[in-house]
Amino acid sequence: MSKESRMRATINQKLTEMGERERLKEILRAKLTECGWKDQMKAHCKEVIKEKGLEHVTVEDLMVEITPKGRALVPDSVKKELLHRIRAFLSQHAT
Amino acid sequence: MKMEDMPLSGPDNTKLEALVHDIYSELVEDACLGLCFEVHRAVKQGYFFLDETDQESMKEFEIVDQPGVDIFGQVYNQWKNKECECPNCKRLIAASRFAPHLEKCLGMGRNSSRIANRRLASNNNMSKSESDQEDNDDLNDNDWSYGAEKKAKKRKSDKNQNSPRRSKSLKHKNGELGSSISTEPYKYNYSTGISYESLGPDEVRSLLSTQCGVISEHTKKMCTRSQRCPQHTDEQRRAVRVFLLGPSAPPLPDTDPVVESDSFDIPDGQTLMSRLQWEDSPDISPADSASSKTSTNHSDSRKPKKKKRTSLSLNSGGGGGGGGGGVGVSLTGGCSSGSSSQSNISLSTKKKRPKLTGPSISSIYDDLN
Repeated sequence: MSKESRMRATINQKLTEMGERERLKEILRAKLTECGWKDQMKAHCKEVIKEKGLEHVTVEDLMVEITPKGRALVPDSVKKELLHRIRAFLSQHAT
Repeated sequence: MKMEDMPLSGPDNTKLEALVHDIYSELVEDACLGLCFEVHRAVKQGYFFLDETDQESMKEFEIVDQPGVDIFGQVYNQWKNKECECPNCKRLIAASRFAPHLEKCLGMGRNSSRIANRRLASNNNMSKSESDQEDNDDLNDNDWSYGAEKKAKKRKSDKNQNSPRRSKSLKHKNGELGSSISTEPYKYNYSTGISYESLGPDEVRSLLSTQCGVISEHTKKMCTRSQRCPQHTDEQRRAVRVFLLGPSAPPLPDTDPVVESDSFDIPDGQTLMSRLQWEDSPDISPADSASSKTSTNHSDSRKPKKKKRTSLSLNSGGGGGGGGGGVGVSLTGGCSSGSSSQSNISLSTKKKRPKLTGPSISSIYDDLN
């Protein structure tokens, strides 16, 4: 187990150090905006805010509401693309 | 591929996959968090609901999603089949062509002024230099380059055209001809060249003696270029003369219809040589009985050559071997002797007098000079 956790730590470190993490983040954001995921989520936010009232909205509230839906709404193509990239990175740099 | 490849042992593979998915989930959560921060800030700053303030206008401009209509609710091919009446020319024009038609019809807009200017310029050019004009087709093909050429030749054509034609224009009451002839070049109409139907036989004859005169198929007008204009052949010129003046048409001022071997393409030096070649035949004939008959026959048949031959005969008589030398020279000059008999003569003489080529050449030139 520790081996595994060590491996994970190493990989995460590499991801960050090589800038791959940032790159993947940007790619994901761009793709989600392109496919309309962002607008969908914003509409959902509006509903939540209207429910909760404009003045008392907190970041945590939003997070709790949005994240599960967000995760579900990611289109399959985007998900596959990203998984593929991550796997490619791992195969190149894993010990 | 540095260290490990994709296909791994079972448990490792699943672990790797799990890792991949974990990384993916982290990335997605990051994106969600970023969105939350954005929204929260917008809410707190007060601009989140800014586009929803006016309910009425929101309903007015709602996105339309019906068949046959765009998202604004407009029918996009509504005016396809409609026709409008032009206020200028009173014609019914299709709606999509209405605007360009109006532009041309009213004479406003960039394009129409450009076209009008071009037309005016070409009209002015044509009226001032008609002698260099052949067909309207040519004019249309070479708009810009031709215009430049015409401007350069303008004065020349005025000189040539004015004097002989002024008398003609007085004789003829034909309005078209009067305008086409350059006494008043500025009133020139679009057509150029001369219409042969309106000319009398005398005018036709004098015209044909100075100009090409070939009648263009497109415009039925006579070519106003010189006798040697490259656009028409001598055959055409002769045919026109026969057509206009009858079968007894006078010969073309430039001789040459008879000899096939002597074509116009030969430059002057070589025509001289070819005439020298003919010059040989009377000299050769007494010496060579076999060739004499053929040579004399040929010499008889070529009428226009006779005059020149006699003038040269004196010279060649002076230089005895001039004949052979002349032949040699003409052959080397590359004169095209089309008829076989001619070549026979020249070959036979070549055989007989090869020795005399050297000194005789200089003698011929001296005599000619």
